[in-house]
Amino acid sequence: MRQPPPEIEAVGISKIFGALKVVDDVSLRLAPGTFHALLGENGAGKSTLVKCLMGVYQADAGVVRVDGTPMHAGSPREARRHGIGMVFQHFTLIPSMTVAENLVLARPDLPLIIDWKAEFTRLRDFLKQAPFQVDLESHIANLSAGQKQKVEILKELYLETRFLILDEPTSVLTPQEADEVLGFLRRLVEAGELSVLLITHKFREVMAFCDSVTVLRRGRFAGAGRVTALDPERMAAMMMGEAPEGRRVDKVPAKRGAALLQLHALRAMDDNGLEAVHGIDLTVHEGEIVGIAGVSGNGQKELLEVIAGQRAATSGHITVSGELHLPTRALLRKHRFFVLPEEPLRNAAVPRMSVAENIALRVFDKPPFREAGFLLNRASIVNFGRDMIQKFSVRPPQGDAPIGDLSGGNVQRAILSRELSSGEVRVLVAANPCFGLDFKAVDFIHDRLIETRNRGAAVLLVSEDLDELLEIADRIYVISGGNLVHETTPVDADLAVIGRQMAGSH
Amino acid sequence: MKRAESILIPFGAIAAGMIVFGIFCALAGANPLLVYASLWKAGFGSWYSWQNTLVRASPLLLCGLCTSLPARAGIIVIGNEGALVVGGLGAISAGLATLSMPPWFCLVTMGIAAMLCGGLWIAFSVALQHYRGVSAVISGLLLNYLAIAFMNQLIEGPLRDPSSLNNPATYPLTPDHRLAYFSGTHVHHGILFGVIACLIAWILVDRTTFGFSLKISGGNVRTAQLVGLPVGKLVVIAGFLGGACAGLAGMIEVAAVHGRGNESLNAGYGYVGILVAFLSRQSPLGVLVVSVMVGGLLASGGMLQRAHDLPDATITVLQGILFLFILLSDTVYGRFRTRAHINSGVKANAVAV
Amino acid sequence: MQLPSEGLGPWGVAVALVGGAMRGSIPYMFVSLGECLTEKSGKINLGMEGVLLMGAMTAFAVSDLTGSPWLGVLAAAAAGLVLGAIHAWLTQQPAVNDVAAGIAMILFGSGLAFFFGKRFVAPMAPQLPLLQLGGWSHVPAVESALRISPLFFIGIVVSFLLHWLFTRTRWGLNIRAAGDDPQAARALGINVNAVRFLAITLGGALAAVGGAHLTLYFPGIWSEGISGGQGLMAVALVIFARWSPRRCLAAALLFGGAQALGPSLQSLGVNGYYHLFNASPYLLTMAVMIATCSPNRRLAGMPGALGKK
Repeated sequence: MRQPPPEIEAVGISKIFGALKVVDDVSLRLAPGTFHALLGENGAGKSTLVKCLMGVYQADAGVVRVDGTPMHAGSPREARRHGIGMVFQHFTLIPSMTVAENLVLARPDLPLIIDWKAEFTRLRDFLKQAPFQVDLESHIANLSAGQKQKVEILKELYLETRFLILDEPTSVLTPQEADEVLGFLRRLVEAGELSVLLITHKFREVMAFCDSVTVLRRGRFAGAGRVTALDPERMAAMMMGEAPEGRRVDKVPAKRGAALLQLHALRAMDDNGLEAVHGIDLTVHEGEIVGIAGVSGNGQKELLEVIAGQRAATSGHITVSGELHLPTRALLRKHRFFVLPEEPLRNAAVPRMSVAENIALRVFDKPPFREAGFLLNRASIVNFGRDMIQKFSVRPPQGDAPIGDLSGGNVQRAILSRELSSGEVRVLVAANPCFGLDFKAVDFIHDRLIETRNRGAAVLLVSEDLDELLEIADRIYVISGGNLVHETTPVDADLAVIGRQMAGSH
Repeated sequence: MKRAESILIPFGAIAAGMIVFGIFCALAGANPLLVYASLWKAGFGSWYSWQNTLVRASPLLLCGLCTSLPARAGIIVIGNEGALVVGGLGAISAGLATLSMPPWFCLVTMGIAAMLCGGLWIAFSVALQHYRGVSAVISGLLLNYLAIAFMNQLIEGPLRDPSSLNNPATYPLTPDHRLAYFSGTHVHHGILFGVIACLIAWILVDRTTFGFSLKISGGNVRTAQLVGLPVGKLVVIAGFLGGACAGLAGMIEVAAVHGRGNESLNAGYGYVGILVAFLSRQSPLGVLVVSVMVGGLLASGGMLQRAHDLPDATITVLQGILFLFILLSDTVYGRFRTRAHINSGVKANAVAV
Repeated sequence: MQLPSEGLGPWGVAVALVGGAMRGSIPYMFVSLGECLTEKSGKINLGMEGVLLMGAMTAFAVSDLTGSPWLGVLAAAAAGLVLGAIHAWLTQQPAVNDVAAGIAMILFGSGLAFFFGKRFVAPMAPQLPLLQLGGWSHVPAVESALRISPLFFIGIVVSFLLHWLFTRTRWGLNIRAAGDDPQAARALGINVNAVRFLAITLGGALAAVGGAHLTLYFPGIWSEGISGGQGLMAVALVIFARWSPRRCLAAALLFGGAQALGPSLQSLGVNGYYHLFNASPYLLTMAVMIATCSPNRRLAGMPGALGKK
C-alpha cells in the first residue's frame, strides 16, 4: 500500500537572479491529498518557485518543510526521497533511450549494474495497473508529445511519487488528452494517494480539476483560496492586478481582397528526416488574418521554417500574388514579405550584435546604409536604430547594447520595429508572437497585427493559443499531423470540434 | 568598456601563460627570466632577429586569415595546412610552366594559381559543411592529410627533379623568377602580401555590407536566412577568401623561401595560423599584431636550445600554453560589464527557456 | 621497413594484410574508444593527437627507465588521464569552444611529448611481449606476420566492456543521458559536469594506451613523427562507427587494413601510388561522411548535445 502524501509547506521563499527578484517572499501550504493550482502570467515566478521546492534551485531565503521538518533542498534526489516529483515544462526524457531505460534511469536506488530481466519484470508488473500503456522498447525520440507527457507521468508514478508538481503539462496536449491526464490524476488525489501542484494559466483546468489555488504576480503572492469560492474573473483580477486595458485598435469589418499569400502542396521534413508537413495548401487574402491552431509538434514549426526560408521544402512552393516566392532578399523586398518567428532571439536576431544593427538587418544593403556600392555607413545604422527604439519603446534605449542582453519582451519589440515599421508590409507571417510576454506587450503586438491587416496586408498567424486566434483571426485552420484538417471562423467556431480535430480524430 | 576589455583580457591571458611557461622552464632547470630575455632577444632584440621574425610572420599573417575570415561567417576552418600545401603545389606548377615568360608574369601566375588552389580547397571543405552537414573541422583534418599525400606523390613522381636525391623536390625556379628581397635584408616581399591581405580583410569584414552580411550569418544562420541572405554563397566565399590567403602563403614559401616545392611546405605554419586566429580573436588587425608576436616565438627556438639547452619543442609547449590561456580568457568577457546588462541577460534567458 | 611477406605472392600479401590490419588497428582502436567514451558524454576531444604522442613518449620513457613495458603502458594511461582532465576542465568553462581547445591540446600535448622525449632518447626500450598466433603455420613469414601485441586483445575487451558499460550500468546510462540531453539529465539529478569530466578524462587515458603501442612495439623506438596523425583520426573514426564502441573496433580494423595496403602492394611490386594508398583511410572517411551526412538531420546515433554549447 502506498504511503499517504506528505504535507508540504514553503515559508517566505525568495529567489534572486542577478538583481532581479524572480520570487519574492512567497509562502504556500499544501495539505495532503489536495489538487492545488499555482496560477500566474508567464514570468510571474511560478516555475522558479516550484524549482526551489524541488531543489533544482537553491532558494535565497525561506524554508521548505515536509511534514513539519525542514528539507535541505540540495538536489532533486533529496526532494525525491521525500516523495516529491515533478514533470517539467520541458521533457526530462533522454531522446536516444528507450522508455524502459528512461524509467529505470530515474530510479534513485538504481544499482550500478543493471539486471535488465528483473527490471523488465518490475516494469511490466507496474504497467499492468498503470492508467496508460506505452511500449517499453520504443525510443523516446519516436514518441509524440502526448505520449512523452504520459511517460513522464508514468515515471513519477513508478517512482512512487506522492507529491507531484506539474509545470504547464497541458501546453503540448490536446484538450481531450489534457482532460484524460488531469482526470486520472484527480482520481488518484481523491483516492488519497497523491497530492498535485499544477502550474497553469488556464482557468478552465483550475475550475475543473483543482481544490484550491494560489496566484502569483511578478514574483509575489497575489491571492489564494478554495476554487469553489472563486471564479475566473476574480482569479484574472489577482493575476493581472489591474483591469486589462481596452483594445486601442479596432478591427475594421473584414474586407477580403484578392488572394495574396498562397502555399501550394507544401511538404517538408523534420530534423529526424520524417515528413512533418504533408502537402499543405493555403490561401491568405488581402486584409485578413488567417490563424493556424494546433498542438505544438504537428508540423507548425517546420511549416513556418519553410515560409521563413529556414528549412527547404521537399516539394511544393509559395506564391505571392501568383508570383513564385523564394526567400531571397530581392523577392522578400519585392513581395514586401515579413516574418515574426517564435523565439525571436533564436530565430530573428543575432544575439551578439547590437540592437541598432539588428534593427537594420532588412535595410543595411540599401542606401543610405550602403555607400559607394559596397561600403557600410555605420552612422546611419545608429541613427535608424535610435529612431526605431524610440518609436517602439525598446528598453533600455541604448542602441549599442547587444540584443542578447535585452529581456524577451524588448527583443520582440526590437524585432517588431524591424519587421513592421516600414508600413509597406504586404505579407506578414507570425508564429506565437506573444509567447512569454506580459499583457501590455501582448496587446501591443495584437494591435500591430490588426493594424497591418486593416491596411490590407495578408497576415498568417500560427499560434498554440486558441484564445488568441479566436480573438483576432478572421479565419482559423486547425493543423494536425502536418495537415490542415479543419477550417472555421471565430464566429462559427465549435471548441469541441476544434479539440477533436487538434487531436487528429476527424 | 568593451574596447578596454578586448585589449586587457588577451594581454592578461598572455601574461598568465608566460608565467606558467616560466614555471615550466624553471622545473626543466632553466632560469625563466633568462628564457624570457632570450625569447625577446631572438625575436625582437636586434634588426637581424626582427628579420627572422618577419620572415616567419609572413605565412602566419596569411594562415591566420585562413581561419579568421570563415570564422566571421561562423565556420571553424582548420584546413590551413592543406590549403598552404596545395597553394604551394599550384604555385610551383604554374611557375615551372611559365618559366619562359617574364618574371613578373610568372610570379603573378604563381600567385593566382596558389590562391585558386588554396581557395577552392577550403571552399570545398566549407561547402561540405554548409550543403552536406560534414563538419569543416573533420573535413579540414582529412584534407590536410590528403594534401600532404598529394604533395608527396607529386614531388616523388611527376614533378620530381631527378637531381634531388635524399630530399625529393620539384625542379627549382630560376633565381630571377623568385620573389625578391628588401635590399640589404633577408626579408622577402611576401610580408607585404600578408600585410596588404590583412588590411583588405579588415576593410572587408568591418566596413562593407559584405562583411556585415558575414557577421549576420556567423552570428545566427537562422536569422540570416530569415532576412534573405544567401548564407551558402556567403560562407563559401568567406572560405574561398580564407583559403586563397593560405594558398598565397604556400606561394610565398615556394617563390621566396625554398625556390622549389618540397616537404618543407608542410612545416606547420597552417596549424600555427589557427593559433594566430584565435589569439587575435578572429580580427584581421589582430592577426597583423599577433603574427609578428608568434613569428618572434617561432624564430627563437634555436636560441633556447643554444643558450639554455631547452629542446625546440619548448616553443610548441609555449604555444600550447598560450592557446589554452587565451581560450580560458574567453570566459572572462562580459564580467567587467555593468550589472544591469548582465541582469537583463539573465532575464532574457529565463524567458527563452 | 622490411616486410615479412616478401616473395610469398598474393597469399603472403593477404596474410601480411591481415597481420598488418591487426597491428595497425591498435592505435586507432584505443583513440577511437577513448573518443567514443568522450563523445558519448556530449563533448568532443580533437586533441587526441597530443594525447597519443604524450602516451607514446611516456610509455617509452618509463619502459626505458624501469625496464618494464607494462609499467610504461600504465604511465601512458596516467599521462592521458592528466591531458584528458585538462581538456575536460577547459571545455566545461563557459564560452570555451571544444574544437579550439582540442587544437590547443594538440599543440600542448605534442609539445610536452617532444620536450620530454628529447631527454629520453634511447636506441630501444623494452617492448611488450608478443602473442604468437601463426603457430599453426610453418612458413616463417606467416608466423612473423601474425605476431600480435597483447594490446590488440585488450582493445577488444575494452570495446566490449564499453558497450556493456553504456547499456547495462548506471554509470553508462548517466554518461549517455549527459551526452544526449544535459538539461534533462540535470533534472534527473545527474551531475552532468562530473560525469563529463570523468568520461573525458578516462577517454584521454584510453587513447594514450594507443600511444604506448606505437613505442612499445617493433621496432620500439620513439620519434617525433611516430603517430603519423593517427590521433587526429579519432573523431572521424567515431563518426564512422556511429558512436558504437563495437563498431569502433571494426572501423579501427578497416583503417589498420587500409594502412597496411600501401606496403603490401609495394611488396607485390606496385610502387607508383604509395603515398596515395597511405592516404586511402582519409579518402575513405571523407567519402563515407559525404555519403552519410545531411544538413537537415542529425546523424543516427549521434549524442544530442554534441557540438552544442
